Amino acid sequence: MEIGAEALPNASDVAHQYFLTALEGGAVDFDVLVLDVIWTREFARAGWIADLSFAVGPELLRQEFFAAAAESAIVDGKVFAVPWYVDVGLLYYRRDLVPDPPRSYRELEQDALVAKSADARLQGYLWQGKQYEGLVCNVFEAIWGHGGSAWSDGRLHLQTSEAVAALAYLRSLLTGGISPASVNSAAEEESRRAFQNGRAVFMRNWPYAFSEFQHPDSPVRDRVGFAALPTRDGAYGQGTLGGWNLALNARSPPRNQLAAVQLIEHLTSAPANLLLAGAYGRNSPRPALYRDPTLAEAAPQMPALLPILSAARPRPPTAYYNLVSDVLQSEFSAAIAGVRTPETALGRAQQHIDRIVGQHA
Amino acid sequence: MPEQWRDGPTEKRQAYFLVAPAMAMLLLVTAYPVCEAAWLSLHRFILVFHDWRFLGIQNYRFLLSDERFWTALANTGYFTLVAVSLELVMGLGFALVLNASFRGRAAVRASVLIPWAIPTVISAKAWAWFFDAGGPGSRLLLNPDASWLGTPGYAMHAAILVDVWKTTPFVAVLLLAGLQAIPRDVYEAAEVDGASWWRVFRSVTLPMLGPMIAVALLFRTLDAFRVFDAIYVLTEGGPANTTETVSIYAYKTLMRAGDFGYGSSLAIAIFLAALGISLGYVKVLGRVLGAAR
Repeated sequence: MEIGAEALPNASDVAHQYFLTALEGGAVDFDVLVLDVIWTREFARAGWIADLSFAVGPELLRQEFFAAAAESAIVDGKVFAVPWYVDVGLLYYRRDLVPDPPRSYRELEQDALVAKSADARLQGYLWQGKQYEGLVCNVFEAIWGHGGSAWSDGRLHLQTSEAVAALAYLRSLLTGGISPASVNSAAEEESRRAFQNGRAVFMRNWPYAFSEFQHPDSPVRDRVGFAALPTRDGAYGQGTLGGWNLALNARSPPRNQLAAVQLIEHLTSAPANLLLAGAYGRNSPRPALYRDPTLAEAAPQMPALLPILSAARPRPPTAYYNLVSDVLQSEFSAAIAGVRTPETALGRAQQHIDRIVGQHA
Repeated sequence: MPEQWRDGPTEKRQAYFLVAPAMAMLLLVTAYPVCEAAWLSLHRFILVFHDWRFLGIQNYRFLLSDERFWTALANTGYFTLVAVSLELVMGLGFALVLNASFRGRAAVRASVLIPWAIPTVISAKAWAWFFDAGGPGSRLLLNPDASWLGTPGYAMHAAILVDVWKTTPFVAVLLLAGLQAIPRDVYEAAEVDGASWWRVFRSVTLPMLGPMIAVALLFRTLDAFRVFDAIYVLTEGGPANTTETVSIYAYKTLMRAGDFGYGSSLAIAIFLAALGISLGYVKVLGRVLGAAR
């Protein structure tokens, strides 16, 4: 059997657009596709990806994969994709400046202030405040960190005291000098570069940053640790689940389907996960592998991700995710930049989202 | 005039016949998509779900009350007005300098075009580094930790600066062509009359440059009104949609969110605005050209 590979644009939203046009046009030139966890529901609902339940049942998926990753691939009790690798929001901290990672927002604030008082050029806490998908992840983490949950009964509920507190907290990081003003325009790489140059004490980012810090010429090599995100009351923090799933093109010709399913099973198998982890730093979606000594050998930092990944939470599981996120990005940005109060921003977001989704829920 | 050059009924028919393929092509690539978008804009149409329902003018009614649209329109208007004014003034200055004869003029003329020649996405990415926190641009701010692109108010002006940097050469070259078309003897006559430099500029150069200025304004206004790539690379419309232009709003609604119904309503609104601008300019251009003859 011959397998051809086609490269996707490296920006997630451009890749989404590629699939939107290709699959809507009935493309059959690929059988297996890789999709962001947040699109899986949309693609399943659109009828673009095939039901794989005959090969991988929902029980098996829930047993073998992290809960949030498994749920991203199960739509209405049917399996439409298999998790390939996962990501989660983490707190990075400078081990040479802070002995133990903070558990609560207060501790983080105090640690940042102490480190800053020793070195005035240091920045406290870096995160992603640019108007884009990453901001949505940061805000949801803050909402969960305040004990909130924006999703219930299949609906998004934004006008809650926890969401208001979360946005006010993020804004206060900027006005209180814990986070630099540059956070307002920072995506992952902007924060990662600043942190890697030794400019900050704390940073929220994805696991990929760790291998960058360990580069031989990195100024912070061996001086960075990671932990679960802090929360308001010090409970174990929940990071946003990110990552990619593999799915089968619903229009894939029958003669290719069996081979395509085998390819998905092979690429998402435990040995393939280990290989991806060792060679590319991709985190396996299978919790069992984190106790495997071969993983610890291939990627020594990875076993420590197990509890953080187990606690990971998905973004709202709606088929309208892209529509919803577009609204959230603008309103969250307005609250972070201080253009609107959290209450107004959340009210506007709720109103827009209800117009889009409400008629269809 | 030889007999066969006169317009007769046969020639007229032949003329229509000759332009017919071009007209058909034009209709196919412009009129058809516009009509299609207008039709889509009357529906609720979420592409991926084949959610297709006739709404009539409901999308437009929502558009009239959609604050985000009006903010985007105001952003676009501000961007266009400021950027095009700056480009015109600076482009005219450059054109006057480049029109003078000095050593190395050819090299300077060529180098002025460099910003125009670089693909916008690449130059915008380079400017993003300039404006970023810790970059050279951020040192011009009160707070060196801040970034132009993350500060409401500053982000839009960063985008304007990038646009001015990129397209002033285009305006300069257009106006330079206009300057060179002004006959030398008009200047000589003015010199004989003892007119001052300013007087010559105001009474000879500017009026004779009028049509070219109008053309440059038409091109630039329409281009600036549709601005997308530079801003998309710099800010994606953030922070808080303060740099979101109508094109970016339409793009996000259509391509990112997949809402083809309302996205098409936005596209039609942009089309009507651009049409209005063109018609206005064509009217002005006709008057200026009439006056110049």
